[in-house]
Amino acid sequence: MLPLSLLNAAQNKPMLVELKNGETFNGHLVNCDNFMNITLREVYQTNAEGDRFWQLKECYIRGSTIKYLRVPEPLLDAVKDEQTRAREAGRSARGAHVSGGRGGRGAPARGRGGPRGAPMRGGRGRGRGM
Amino acid sequence: MASLQGYVDHRVLLILQDGRAIVGVMAGYDQKSNVVLSDSKERVYSTDEGVEEIPLGLYLVKGDQMCVLPTVLISHLTSDIMSGYATSVLIGELDEDLEKSVDLSVIRAEPLPAIRY
Repeated sequence: MLPLSLLNAAQNKPMLVELKNGETFNGHLVNCDNFMNITLREVYQTNAEGDRFWQLKECYIRGSTIKYLRVPEPLLDAVKDEQTRAREAGRSARGAHVSGGRGGRGAPARGRGGPRGAPMRGGRGRGRGM
Repeated sequence: MASLQGYVDHRVLLILQDGRAIVGVMAGYDQKSNVVLSDSKERVYSTDEGVEEIPLGLYLVKGDQMCVLPTVLISHLTSDIMSGYATSVLIGELDEDLEKSVDLSVIRAEPLPAIRY
């Protein structure tokens, strides 16, 4: 199971994010991307020493500054079930080539040329899963 | 780069750059060595009391850098041994039998220092 699929499944769930500098952010996940950049809402920020707190309505955290995320334990089973279901659905509907598009191989540069929703150039329906 | 696949569904020890030691079952990983640990616990080492295990639950640890820690060393975790390795995030599989034979409450060790750049 990919860390990012877990994170995607954690949308609207509470989580704790610790940054590399030791600051922590408690809040509900609004959105995330493949760099693990995230937005949280209803946030409690704590400084590295744990003695000062801030409350923020919403905040954006750059993925590269994150040390770890703590997410609710039941999410793991939810994601596993979801994946099994997707696999089975894919198998019965399309035959081989299941869970495509997921992998982290995707170059971040994709989608540079042209407006969003422009017809896709390079065949192979990457990005279907978004 | 070698794969973390062999660790999936095994109990592993992860050492972070800040010196924390986290034990958990590796539920998944990706190409950047980000790691999902389920049922994870932090092991807090100290010189004047036994090892304290703090339950953490489901963790997603960013894998900025990683190298491998041989299984055997883990049961003899002391800061002496570890300090030689504590230059990046470490991960290693735990030997379950060895693990059971160790009484954490009698182990005294200095906590690992965080790494400095």
